[in-house]
Amino acid sequence: MIDPIEFFGNHTFRMVFLGASVIGLVAGALGSFAYLRKQSLISDVIAHSALPGALLAFLAAVVVFGVNGRNMLGLIFGAVVTGTLAALFANSIAARTKIAIDSAMAISLTAFFGAGMLLLRIISNGPFTGKGGIDDYLFGNASVITIADLATSSAVGAVALILMLVFWKEFALRTFDPGLSTLLGFRSSVIDTLMFVTIVIAIVIGVKAVGVVLMIAFVVTPPAAARQWTSTLPGMVILSGTFGAMGSGVGAYLSVSLGNVPTGPFIVLTLFVIFLISLLASPRRSVIITALRRARARQALRRELLTETTDK
Amino acid sequence: MSIAPIACQTWDLSVAYNADPVLRRVNFSVPAGSVMGVVGPNGSGKSTLIKAMLGLVKPLTGTSAFFGCPFDQVRRRIGYMPQGASVDWDFPTTVIDLVTMGTYGELGWIRRPGKAEHARAEAALEQTGILELASRQIGELSGGQRQRAFLARTLVQAPDLYFMDEPFQGIDAKSQEAMLQVLYNLSAQGKTIVMVHHHLATVRNYCSHVTLLNGSVIASGSAEEAFTRENIRIAYEAREGAEAFLETGA
Repeated sequence: MIDPIEFFGNHTFRMVFLGASVIGLVAGALGSFAYLRKQSLISDVIAHSALPGALLAFLAAVVVFGVNGRNMLGLIFGAVVTGTLAALFANSIAARTKIAIDSAMAISLTAFFGAGMLLLRIISNGPFTGKGGIDDYLFGNASVITIADLATSSAVGAVALILMLVFWKEFALRTFDPGLSTLLGFRSSVIDTLMFVTIVIAIVIGVKAVGVVLMIAFVVTPPAAARQWTSTLPGMVILSGTFGAMGSGVGAYLSVSLGNVPTGPFIVLTLFVIFLISLLASPRRSVIITALRRARARQALRRELLTETTDK
Repeated sequence: MSIAPIACQTWDLSVAYNADPVLRRVNFSVPAGSVMGVVGPNGSGKSTLIKAMLGLVKPLTGTSAFFGCPFDQVRRRIGYMPQGASVDWDFPTTVIDLVTMGTYGELGWIRRPGKAEHARAEAALEQTGILELASRQIGELSGGQRQRAFLARTLVQAPDLYFMDEPFQGIDAKSQEAMLQVLYNLSAQGKTIVMVHHHLATVRNYCSHVTLLNGSVIASGSAEEAFTRENIRIAYEAREGAEAFLETGA
């Protein structure tokens, strides 16, 4: 283990910590809407399908433009394109055929991810500059985050968060009651597109540090944990963002101090611990308290029913 | 023939999910100031009719008009209270915030509700008798309280024409009483109410007009004219529930 003073004194470690925290904050906050719209799995389709896009962006940068293949802006652009295509593909299959949405998502996810794995092999075997460690896109490596990367992902993440704040009312209404939203005159296609853009951004900024395989946990786990503690939407978004940032910071710290291990898995495990604690310890929705309360109510009902029959 | 102005009307409205018809060329009109009960057996297209009129479901044929205009031009004058089961009641929001959503339409894009909107939401909660529940999480409400919160949200819009989808579904006597009082007041103010209702025994008490529906319109008009034993029998194809009701003497 590295002690905190040494950790934060080190430039690379600070970058790791900050980079992961920004991703956690953005994904946690925006993930709340995906969670409430029950779109967690489509987020996973986007995350896995970001792989071929990120790799194509690498190839384009190296082969066509002759620049650094790992620059964040190119990566984000490529990931957004293939992530969006995969989500649209899954939705349009489900809408046009009898294939259910879960099957359509699995088909889309595996096809895009498979293409990504193929590209990964092509790149590792080819003569490309900067290809070393390209497979970090799978499980993430926060220690390669540069100041430019951090600035780019912070800026893009801020855009997504600002969109959410500006259209808060519209997002909340569309999520809770889509029918009323349409009737009151808000164009559903506009709101859905805006919401989709924010969630795609939240996912793709994590590709480099966290990796495509586990990015879904950043979007789903913090909101699920936050929902246990709060019963308002602002409360949920703030808490979920906080859990995401905290879990990512702690996870990144652990992954660095334990040596050269991928960042994604450590953060996911940290988030999972937060989730478990929330599940057990939240005052209103704790699984233990809920189960006890239900058992007690059933006992009371049972006694009531038994006395009723003996009375008659 | 009635000479009352018409609040809303449909012409040849048909809806099909995929290629299965749910509604076939529905024609009916609702006189202004009436309480129109839309009555029919399960699966007869009652909810679909309302949704198609409001554009929530795309009709295959036909059109609807409200105060003589297409929906887009008069949407502020129209309120819709969906079925209670249409939303996730575990959504993290409070009763007052739910009711305030009714003001979002006139606020338009981006503008947030302020003090005035919250005051109106509170007034609507007062009308439906659940002001003391304003800061509760919506999941804590009983079935009847949920319907009253939904009604309050519709009241906040202050529409002239109300569409309600089974407002009395699964509610307690106290909530029913409170909601009826609101409906009577609206009616006394000359508002028009179109209400999906499936409890045959109370149709005559609640509704001045009735449309009997079973895929197409069996009868539509004043309760006296339309809600007859013969028409009910046709609409329900003499199903058990209706038989029992008919025997008690409609």
